[in-house]
Amino acid sequence: MHLFIQACILGLLAGGVYALMASGLTLAFGVMRVINVAQGAMIVLGAFLSYTLFTKAHIDPFVSVVLLTPLMFLVGVALQLVFIRPLRADEREELSLLVTWALALGIEGLLSVLYKTNYRSTITSYADKSWRVLGYHLSEVRVFAFGMSVVILTLLYLLLTRTEFGRTVRATVQNPVSARLLGVNVDKVSALGFGISVATATAAGAVFGMVTPFFPGSHYDLISRLLSIIVLGGLGSLGGAIIAALFMGMAEAVFAAEISPTWSSFTFFIVLIAILLLRPQGLFGTNERGAL
Amino acid sequence: MSTLKLDGVVAGYGQGDILRGVSLEVEAGSVMCVIGPNGAGKSTILRAVSGLLRPRAGSIAVDGQPIASLKPREVLSRGIVHVPQERSLFPQMTVWENVLLGAHVLGDRARARRRIEEVAERFPILRERRNAHAGSLSGGEQKTVELARALMLDPKLIMLDEPSMGLDPKARQRVFTTIRGLNETGLTVLLVEQNARAGLEIADEGAVMDGGVVKLRARGRELLDDPRVGALYLGAPITPREAAPEPTR
Ligand SMILES: Nc1ncnc2c1ncn2[C@@H]1O[C@H](COP(=O)(O)OP(=O)(O)OP(=O)(O)O)[C@@H](O)[C@H]1O
Ligand SMILES: [Mg+2]
Repeated sequence: MHLFIQACILGLLAGGVYALMASGLTLAFGVMRVINVAQGAMIVLGAFLSYTLFTKAHIDPFVSVVLLTPLMFLVGVALQLVFIRPLRADEREELSLLVTWALALGIEGLLSVLYKTNYRSTITSYADKSWRVLGYHLSEVRVFAFGMSVVILTLLYLLLTRTEFGRTVRATVQNPVSARLLGVNVDKVSALGFGISVATATAAGAVFGMVTPFFPGSHYDLISRLLSIIVLGGLGSLGGAIIAALFMGMAEAVFAAEISPTWSSFTFFIVLIAILLLRPQGLFGTNERGAL
Repeated sequence: MSTLKLDGVVAGYGQGDILRGVSLEVEAGSVMCVIGPNGAGKSTILRAVSGLLRPRAGSIAVDGQPIASLKPREVLSRGIVHVPQERSLFPQMTVWENVLLGAHVLGDRARARRRIEEVAERFPILRERRNAHAGSLSGGEQKTVELARALMLDPKLIMLDEPSMGLDPKARQRVFTTIRGLNETGLTVLLVEQNARAGLEIADEGAVMDGGVVKLRARGRELLDDPRVGALYLGAPITPREAAPEPTR
């Protein structure tokens, strides 16, 4: 029982970070119907950027998040304008897969040249510290990472629900034609939406590098997990993605603790296949687009 | 007040042309009702006017000002609003949020808030179902909210695409009464209706679309009694008024 609860705690903390990673993916899908398979590579890029700032300039990853996210937001906007906007609306879903896959390989290639292909880790002074609460271990890094994810997701939620920009994003997700008819600048919403998506990937990447060793090819594994999460959460639903991420994080940790650590990364796919057989619209998906 | 004028408009999706030279005039302050069989291009006319679709040829003008190359939000700012045939509310947003977005182009939340109170005077359902998700409303209620949202910018011309579609007789009656009432306050109406009788009854003028062109134009009530309109609905081809007499078979 103790082991089980410890695994659940660990899984929940990891799930929070997965939720942040998946939020951008599901947002981009909702707004543009673009499956950004480069999201994993963006996360790895974020990990390398904060790793570099940490090793070269001694900037703590949680601080570099504040510096890197606005920068990567702009990069995201630029990527959308250059690679995704030119795609014709009626073939965007399919072509965006190819384009973002090419982007992922490009980022991986660039990182391989710059950093070689060995594993790295961003190891801060508090990397090995943990708190003991009621006999359970709470790793400081993981708690901070979880906390940061909660903060960013809350900001994202507030942005989507409390601002005019957020309302135009949701409107675009729920009915793009209708949004245009009301004068929403759908092109602008899409570009900014993609920027936000890349910014969340960067933030997630910075903390990912602190809890998991990474190398340029880490994005394959990441994107497979994230796709499982957003399918499970019901494509395009932010709330669904968050719940699915927490669920997957815990399922993986419990599987690792109770059954076999070697096979734990398969948990995602086992759960995914099981769910898709039972509930094809995803666990939390509705048939309506754009539920938060 | 504004007069909408289409002249030889050609437009379509992808390759083929759907509109093949549409000429139509909607006089300021009037109700124009466009009828015609499925696929005639009625909705496409509205899409061309509102800027969803860019015409390939011909001109569209409001009070003499060309609008054919404008984006939807620019057309909106000229006082022209389009309520499409398909459901157009944002189902996961509340009724209130939906209607407020009707004033999005103002870029002035405070003004939008004042305006929605005025609109809600006319459409009590906005207050009654204020926090309900729009998707949870019945079809008739949704149509009412769509109409209310379209009035947020206090438009000069409203284009309604089959507003009575899928409504029960009572709700349908209410929609037509509302349209008439709006027109009495000075709003110009371009109405597309499958429900030809009800549409033409409230219209000053009517037009019959078929195969991407306007085949007939007449005063609303005259069109109601025109045997050629009946023929159209039975699927037989009609000949324009100015063309040669119908050939005998
Ligand atoms: N988005 C689109 N892409 C491609 N073709 C379209 C599109 N919308 C409409 N069409 C085609 O254009 C033609 C005219 O469509 P339109 O919607 O204007 O007809 P309509 O007169 O409004 O018909 P209905 O009475 O059924 O609403 C149809 O043949 C339709 O197949
Ligand atoms: Mg139509």
